[in-house]
Amino acid sequence: MATSLETPKPKARKPKPQLDPDLCKGCLRCIDSCNHHCLVPGHDIDPRTGLIPIELHLEACTACGLCFDACPEPYGLRPERLEEIPTGQPEFERPTDADHLKRPPRPKPVDIPDVLRELPLGATLVLKGNHASAIGALLAGCRHFYGYPITPSTEGAELLAKLLPKLNGIFLQAVSEVATVNLMYGTAGAGLRTMTFTSSPGFSLMLEGVSYMIGAELPAVFVNVMRGGPGLGNIAPEQADIKLACRGLGHGNTHAIVFAPSTPQEMLDLTRQAFELAFQYRNPVVLLADGYLGQMTGRVELPKALVQPGLPKWAVAGDAAHRDNLISSIFLAEADLEAHNRHLDDKYARMAREARAESWQCEDAEVVIVACNTPARMARGAVAELRQRGVKAGLFRPITLWPFPIDALAEALSGASRLVVVEASAGQLEDELRLAASHAGLALPPLAAVRHSGGVLPQQDEIVAGALAALAREVTAPTASKSADPCDCSDPECGCGDEE
Amino acid sequence: MNCQPKDFKSDLKPIWCPGCGDFGVVQAIYRALAAVGRLPHDIAFVSGIGCSSRIPGYTTAYGFNSVHGRALPIAQGLKIANPDLLVLVAGGDGDGFSIGGGHVAHAIRRNIDLTYIVMDNQIYGLTKGQLSPTSKQGLQTVTSSLGSLEQPVNPLLYVLSYGAPFVAQGTPADMAGLAAVIEEAIRFPGFSFVNVQSPCVTFGEDDWQLKQHKAVMKSLQSLGHDPADVIAAMRLAQGYGHELHTGVFYRAPQPPPTYDALVRARQQEQAGKALPRERVLELFAAKKKETAA
Ligand SMILES: Cc1ncc(C[n+]2csc(CCOP(=O)(O)OP(=O)(O)O)c2C)c(N)n1
Ligand code: SF4
Ligand code: SF4
Ligand code: SF4
Ligand SMILES: [Mg+2]
Repeated sequence: MATSLETPKPKARKPKPQLDPDLCKGCLRCIDSCNHHCLVPGHDIDPRTGLIPIELHLEACTACGLCFDACPEPYGLRPERLEEIPTGQPEFERPTDADHLKRPPRPKPVDIPDVLRELPLGATLVLKGNHASAIGALLAGCRHFYGYPITPSTEGAELLAKLLPKLNGIFLQAVSEVATVNLMYGTAGAGLRTMTFTSSPGFSLMLEGVSYMIGAELPAVFVNVMRGGPGLGNIAPEQADIKLACRGLGHGNTHAIVFAPSTPQEMLDLTRQAFELAFQYRNPVVLLADGYLGQMTGRVELPKALVQPGLPKWAVAGDAAHRDNLISSIFLAEADLEAHNRHLDDKYARMAREARAESWQCEDAEVVIVACNTPARMARGAVAELRQRGVKAGLFRPITLWPFPIDALAEALSGASRLVVVEASAGQLEDELRLAASHAGLALPPLAAVRHSGGVLPQQDEIVAGALAALAREVTAPTASKSADPCDCSDPECGCGDEE
Repeated sequence: MNCQPKDFKSDLKPIWCPGCGDFGVVQAIYRALAAVGRLPHDIAFVSGIGCSSRIPGYTTAYGFNSVHGRALPIAQGLKIANPDLLVLVAGGDGDGFSIGGGHVAHAIRRNIDLTYIVMDNQIYGLTKGQLSPTSKQGLQTVTSSLGSLEQPVNPLLYVLSYGAPFVAQGTPADMAGLAAVIEEAIRFPGFSFVNVQSPCVTFGEDDWQLKQHKAVMKSLQSLGHDPADVIAAMRLAQGYGHELHTGVFYRAPQPPPTYDALVRARQQEQAGKALPRERVLELFAAKKKETAA
């Protein structure tokens, strides 16, 4: 019987520790376990995990093995493998490769497109603005409403509270606007249509969540029936959230298409389209109405078709096909987040083609009046009155405030020598207009403002007077210069020509 | 100077609906404040937003009609800044247990010496009749057309389970009793909570108005309840929603130290050790040396 005594085995070498940095959470529990100071806290963030793994310096390592027990991570610090590893086999089984985690190949998710269903033509309805918007949402296929009561927006929610339970939909009154936006975040992540009605203070409270939804690229519709601010303000109409919707949708690089309806008909049509665009761009869409428009009744024609929603392929839909989908706004590595922001920027740039406006009687207008929402109705009256008096006036009504319809404005202004901006805010519409003009390199004619706030709306006679005064005012700066805006700078680079 | 209840009444005429329970609450507060004996200018009255939150304006105390759901953090900031003020906080059931619900637990565990009065009408009054967190299950409102599916919050159990050291309930149907519990709550050193069943005549349930309160209310005293017994208090608090117990549910026999007391104690410890204001930069330099070493 052959014995192994003749060939004594070499003393087996004991394994030293080994670590894959992306599997170390940097908890430092192992550090003190080593008497030879082989394990030291690391310095660099691992871009794969966002954590700081330890570093190994094994010169003094005696392979005592004490550190293995100290590490709480199942795949963290572990004994190196001493035996030969057959080629083609991984050095060790990473948790993500483990057999029990491997699944059979899954079907790939595909977009299930929406279906348009013919809507039997009904009669013209007479509806409140808020109700019209709610019906627009139903026709767009929205069956999930979350909201927190706030005047003057609540009628929209109340109508949906009545109708949704009869349509197998969900109406849930949230405990706050913070809860509302996060309920929407969840439903939107499942790929479903969701919306809310709110008003200024409530919209303020939702903005954190709006930023997350933009970051995670989720569609949803926010109808903000603006009221007087700041603070609690009052419940009368204002347009003082234009800045918030166009420039301040929470933290970070955020934008959303912002609609400014001015009739109950537009409340319905634009709410419907808002859902379409929200899903097309995977981005929230904001409808800015005002308290007056929300309460006002008007004739509304129903569209010829309604939408039976499909399911986008990115949805977290809870089946095998969608298993790999991840909804997240977290990009820990700087380069990844920058790439994500570039992607968002591209998307924002594509949204430029959604810019919409109405120009009325601007073809030959010498004075163009700019207004949106309810003030546009007074402005329309003012234009008619001015025309009656022989003044060539026109109305330019932006229907999207972001992106601002600057090309349409340039066209409307082609023959105008004066511009009057009418608004129920302290210049927020004018700021959007000026910013858009400045980006587009559009020289504006001398600009006058008719403004009110606090719930007071600009009236027709004021607008007429404002336009007449603007036309009568002498313009000292040469209107044909590159910028007709009076500029008193002495900067030779400015280009205003004033330094000459 | 001794104040009379009328000294706490402001010139503003309340714009609550005629018959609103909140009229009784403000009356009870006038009485309680007169009994406590602090002057109007020693008192700050903070509220959120809602019909009930109008209440500070109807008193001569300093008023702070703040943000919906945020009365408690604002009142805590005020009390920390000026611990000598008597701080009252008031609001509705929605303000306190829906949008502001997250703040209640933390006000309690911080134990800042405040008196929090909730005018609980089980409805959103100001926004015209929507569901509130204390609305009973099945209630039909403009936002729950087929009846609410959710269980109501029980405000009494809520605060008791977070360890509120003083918990009481009242109704304007028993004005003397209500004034008495508010007075006791104000005198209590630490966070005190008074749930007032204050019916909304316009949007509230027809069968839960002051008349019904009067018929069914039972004082805890008459039941022989010992307010030092927190377990008994919790048992009785389960009755919320179908019984109307009035009086003090729980009064901590040994009131825990208030936040203010703890701050003062810590400041005392530091007394003599603290650097005078103009030497603040030395502190910074010392800290830097420490980290360099
Ligand atoms: C952020 C925000 N959301 C919504 C509102 C509208 N709002 C004002 S009071 C109120 C609720 C009122 O109910 P409650 O707190 O029970 O007081 P009550 O009027 O019943 O006394 C709501 C929803 C608001 N002011 N601010
Ligand atoms: S095996 Fe022992 S000596 Fe080597 S690193 Fe781990 S604890 Fe230190
Ligand atoms: S104990 Fe494990 S996870 Fe923690 S630092 Fe050490 S190796 Fe990393
Ligand atoms: S609506 Fe209700 S709570 Fe508000 S004042 Fe009227 S009765 Fe009181
Ligand atoms: Mg209430």
